[in-house]
Amino acid sequence: MKDVMGLIYTSKHETSLRELTASRAVAALPVGGRYRMIDFMLSSMVNSGIRNVGVIMQKNYHSLMDHLGSGKAWDLHTRNDGLFILPPFLTRDNVGSYSGILDALRSNLGYLRRSNQEYIIITGGHTALSTTFDDLMAFHMDSGADISLMYARKAPGEVDESVTLTPRHVYLSVDGDGLVTDLEIGPTQPKEPNFYMDIMLLRRDLLLRLIDEAFSQGTVDINREILQRNVHNGPLRICALEYKGYNRRVETINSYYALNMDMLNRDCRRELFGKYPVYTKVHDEVPVRYVPGGSAHNSLVADGCVIEGTVENSILFRGVHIGKDVHVRDSIIMQGDVIQSGVEIEHVILDKHVTVLSGNRLIAPRLYPIVVGKNKTV
Amino acid sequence: MRKKHCIAMLLAGGQGSRLGILTKVMAKPAVPFGGKYRIIDFPLSNCSHSGIDTVGVLTQYQPLELNSYIGSGQPWDLDLNSGGVFVLPPYSKGKSGEWYRGTANAIYQNISFIEQFDPEYVLVLSGDHIYKMDYSKMVRFHSENDADATIAVFDVPLEEASRFGIMSTDESGRITQFEEKPPRPTSTKASMGVYVFSWPVLHKYLIADEADPTSKNDFGKNIIPKMLGDGKKLMAYGFEGYWKDVGTIESLWEANMDLLQTPPAFNLYDDVWRIYARNPIQPPHFMADTAVVDNAMITEGCDVAGAVRHSILFAGVHIEEGATIVDSVIMPGAVIKSGAVVTRAIVGEDSVINAGCVVGRPEAPGEDNRIALVGQHTVLPENFVVNPGDQIDSDVLRLERSVDV
Repeated sequence: MKDVMGLIYTSKHETSLRELTASRAVAALPVGGRYRMIDFMLSSMVNSGIRNVGVIMQKNYHSLMDHLGSGKAWDLHTRNDGLFILPPFLTRDNVGSYSGILDALRSNLGYLRRSNQEYIIITGGHTALSTTFDDLMAFHMDSGADISLMYARKAPGEVDESVTLTPRHVYLSVDGDGLVTDLEIGPTQPKEPNFYMDIMLLRRDLLLRLIDEAFSQGTVDINREILQRNVHNGPLRICALEYKGYNRRVETINSYYALNMDMLNRDCRRELFGKYPVYTKVHDEVPVRYVPGGSAHNSLVADGCVIEGTVENSILFRGVHIGKDVHVRDSIIMQGDVIQSGVEIEHVILDKHVTVLSGNRLIAPRLYPIVVGKNKTV
Repeated sequence: MRKKHCIAMLLAGGQGSRLGILTKVMAKPAVPFGGKYRIIDFPLSNCSHSGIDTVGVLTQYQPLELNSYIGSGQPWDLDLNSGGVFVLPPYSKGKSGEWYRGTANAIYQNISFIEQFDPEYVLVLSGDHIYKMDYSKMVRFHSENDADATIAVFDVPLEEASRFGIMSTDESGRITQFEEKPPRPTSTKASMGVYVFSWPVLHKYLIADEADPTSKNDFGKNIIPKMLGDGKKLMAYGFEGYWKDVGTIESLWEANMDLLQTPPAFNLYDDVWRIYARNPIQPPHFMADTAVVDNAMITEGCDVAGAVRHSILFAGVHIEEGATIVDSVIMPGAVIKSGAVVTRAIVGEDSVINAGCVVGRPEAPGEDNRIALVGQHTVLPENFVVNPGDQIDSDVLRLERSVDV
């Protein structure tokens, strides 16, 4: 896949993730004990052999940039190609923010033109999956498509229906040859449960042409004005391939919580971490120390934690301290949190560097977890 | 090359034969320690924190694992344009060319490597100790005392002193006598295998030592006694803190167990003096519903469904439901199957302990209380028993099988 470049579009902050996205993009959300959302897409690209990846950032790019650094953790710190961080910038033609993916692509035309790969894969940064795009590439060649999309079949309720924000969910109707026959944007009752994963593959020169056309015609919505229009009345041939592996898009607190809890399932862990490595920024953490009296059940525990209390059905990020006589259940405890002795916690999401003082009880219902913002003391 | 104040030479070529089958396919400094480290991480991290940015690592015995582990030196911030980490194997030179014949000969063969940095001081380290030490303080001590050589010393109990190189000093700390493993020690100051030399002096002694056909070309046996005899100024630099030689199976096991004390005898959780290591690309460890843990150190990639008591698990270890691990060290990637019991043992990398196996025994007075050892890449057949003091690997198993037939 040397001839393919990758582009990850990280969307603007989502209000449906409450405090968690107050100061970071969804792509920068910490998940699974030591990862950020973007690690899955970025690693999938790298595991496909892609050597040139651009990451389109929005205004809140600080935490994402800090995470990606030079791209070293993904072996993308190379002399040629490598990792390109593309935040919005201010010039005569740019207003200093991206109004959508087409606008972002137009602002970065220079980078797109300068790259020399024949194909480009454009994805979002909000989906957890671990794969390679080899199948998509082979499908693209076989189907004779101009644009190839990737979708997953979702049972009703599997997708976060509470999302009302744009961009809305896109569903595809696909015939036996993989040709997309209909593309619905935000339907309440999709014709077919084929959930578009925001992953598209096309020739780079075609993309450049489409950006040019879009700019001259004032097009802003890639799904409606490019994909849907071409599905309905050509001229581009749009095909789609089903992705059968584990995948989950994070858009709300509930889907964020569900993704983390999925990782406590052995099959899901095998899908995400067993097939291909998932790379992430390296911290020099110490192994976890279970002192006498400390224990964990059905939990993922990242390095650097010290556990003196009991932990059940939870995700502990790096360097968490669980004090004596603490009970943590069904919770997500992020990096550097300190839970002092005697605290009881259930269905809680603690952002980074939160301290929960002795004697507190934080108990929430499963469908509405308590979220405590970064650096807070409870 | 830019001139360097002090560079380090790390002696990593020894076989470490006292570690038995653990070092059959890797050099001692590459042996895993403390859940996610290897022994060499300790001197390399010490160098990095001490501001010593040029380190030559002298390799000879089974260097493959060590070489790939060190790589560019990036985990220790030693991937630099000027300086950094250099792996220095013996090489052929015109008509000569030979293996490293001793610690002093190894440095002698790399004189030209050292000279390109034109250092004032050379720090000589060995790769078989667990400790945290600020070498820059020792180098400052050396230069303030205007010494020719400085040896770091550690106070050991008198009854153990005969295992070490023992120094006697006068009140100023100047070394008056040096004895390698004395039968009747008169001092408790043991050499830690950490030396600072003024390079011009060491250079001269290395050349003289090489010219002496009776010399064993060893620092402890030849260079240091010779310098003392010549009236050179040798200083003892006292070190306080945790220091452990992990050159034997028993001491390697003990040093690992030291990490499980509360508070730990050796603190890895020190933010200021982090021990760096090459990171395994693995997810956080998973504790299943059936997992039982009591005082343990567990790291990334582990999957624990059995019981782990007072033990250390390295990256990617799987403990199945119904397996029991007590007082043991399980190295990376090992799998302990349901029904196996591992007690007071070290299990090597990627080994499989099958159902019904009994490895090691609890400590009991009057019994053989040595550590049981299973080597790397060893698959123990079901119901296999490894007794205390036994060392089992695939070669041993093959031999036993052929005897049975």
